[in-house]
Amino acid sequence: MAFDSLAEFWAMGNYGAYVWSAYGISFVTIAFITLLSVVKGRKVRAELRQRYLRD
Amino acid sequence: MSWLWIHKLGSPKFFYGFSKRFATPIFFSGLLFSLLALGWGLGFAPSDYQQGDSYRIMYIHVPAAMLAQSCYLAMGIAGLVFLVWQMKMAAIFIQAVAPIGAVMALLALVTGSIWGKPTWGTWWVWDARLTSVLLLWILYMGVIALQNSLEEKVLANKATAVLSLVGLINLPIIKYSVEWWNTLHQPASLSLIEKPTMPMEMWLPLVISILGMYLFVAGLTLWRMQTHVLLNEHKASWVKKEVLNNGI
Amino acid sequence: MTYLSFVKYECLALYRNKQNLFNALLFFVMVSLLFPLGVSSEEAFLAPAAGGIIWCATLLAVLMVVDGLFKNDFHDGGIEQLAVSGLSFAWLMLLKVMIHWLATIGPLLLITPLLGYMLFLPTDSLVVVLLSLLFGSPSLFLIGSIVAGLTLTLRQSALLMLVLILPFYLPVLVFATGAIKAQQAGLDPSAPLAILLAIFFLSLAISPLLTAISLRASLAS
Repeated sequence: MAFDSLAEFWAMGNYGAYVWSAYGISFVTIAFITLLSVVKGRKVRAELRQRYLRD
Repeated sequence: MSWLWIHKLGSPKFFYGFSKRFATPIFFSGLLFSLLALGWGLGFAPSDYQQGDSYRIMYIHVPAAMLAQSCYLAMGIAGLVFLVWQMKMAAIFIQAVAPIGAVMALLALVTGSIWGKPTWGTWWVWDARLTSVLLLWILYMGVIALQNSLEEKVLANKATAVLSLVGLINLPIIKYSVEWWNTLHQPASLSLIEKPTMPMEMWLPLVISILGMYLFVAGLTLWRMQTHVLLNEHKASWVKKEVLNNGI
Repeated sequence: MTYLSFVKYECLALYRNKQNLFNALLFFVMVSLLFPLGVSSEEAFLAPAAGGIIWCATLLAVLMVVDGLFKNDFHDGGIEQLAVSGLSFAWLMLLKVMIHWLATIGPLLLITPLLGYMLFLPTDSLVVVLLSLLFGSPSLFLIGSIVAGLTLTLRQSALLMLVLILPFYLPVLVFATGAIKAQQAGLDPSAPLAILLAIFFLSLAISPLLTAISLRASLAS
């Protein structure tokens, strides 16, 4: 471990705000596009199923 | 036994079966690798003697920037494949990968400028690397905007293929021009990443992070392509069977 | 129909729509005048910026012209006739682009010295500015024609064109203004000018084919 304590880990040598915001934004954005893809996939499948059941 | 099976990937049905088997394992192994590498990079890699702990942004910035470029490379090649061989899967690939590439370019920009603040003292520098990623992002947005504005599907596929191909040809020219322009304006800008001085404990998590993110994006792209295949081929009987049998 | 009759017909059509070309020229002058009025009219600002201002104005004016390049022919069905005329569609479109280039850039080059004078462009730089326009603007038209083909079916295409085309125009802009800056710094501008020519040849090689492909795709839909 490069840090002695958890507090130091959060502080990131006074760069905490930069490091954690960069990671936070990245996680949220990647989670967002993943979720978007999954939701769209489910929507398309549900719509197709409806259409097939109607015919 | 030969590599001829790769031809079959051009058939939507074969591709669907193939990707259905592999998308999920690829996606989750990528997720695992990325999380592992990011944890390692954040907590265990040593501090940089010059930049302190701010350099840890690298573990997300570098994979994002590399993926943004690789996705465009793949997209441009897919454009060529679509124009030459009319392979439907190539168009589907472009459609599926463009938003992911755009997100990666955007992340590279955002993390780059967050990293730039402690390193350069400002959020934005007209640095060659950042500027070319900005243009890459605009190229992606162009492809997405074109895809969304053209309602006729056949035309939209062809148009995005042409645009990605021209963009791919243009990409090296953009990079070269931006670098040339950058040296003209500001001869000595501090580079964010110094390659030769990086010790093994620093770049090993980076390599794993890059690998993980590539796998993650590959899995996500395959998954997105499956959705587009179903939508495009909804008249085929195998799609009907697939949707009705396997649910959601 | 022969290539010659096509050229004659295009020139006639251009002459009939001369108001469009005049508008583009007027647009070019207006954009250039925004800078002294909007930013600063002092010679200390304008003299080094003049080359860049002229180039930005050119870029926007060319964008306006390129956006309408195939619109009229598309709506009256002229392009469809050309596509089945038996002549090479790619060559016809290249001829059309070059005719439009000549008709737009010719007057623009004539008016540039006057505009340069108003923007305090140093007289020594004028030759480089004109050369950079001469070498750089054909690429703008050639690249633009590809994108114009892609957006042909859209009613409101100007804004989308701007997004699509900007990354492609950027290298041309960089090397053109780079040549002007090099000259003003006392360096040899021939290297960036040569690169402009290289970009021109590259776009000449790929543009006709891809323009034809994109136009045919738009026609088919």
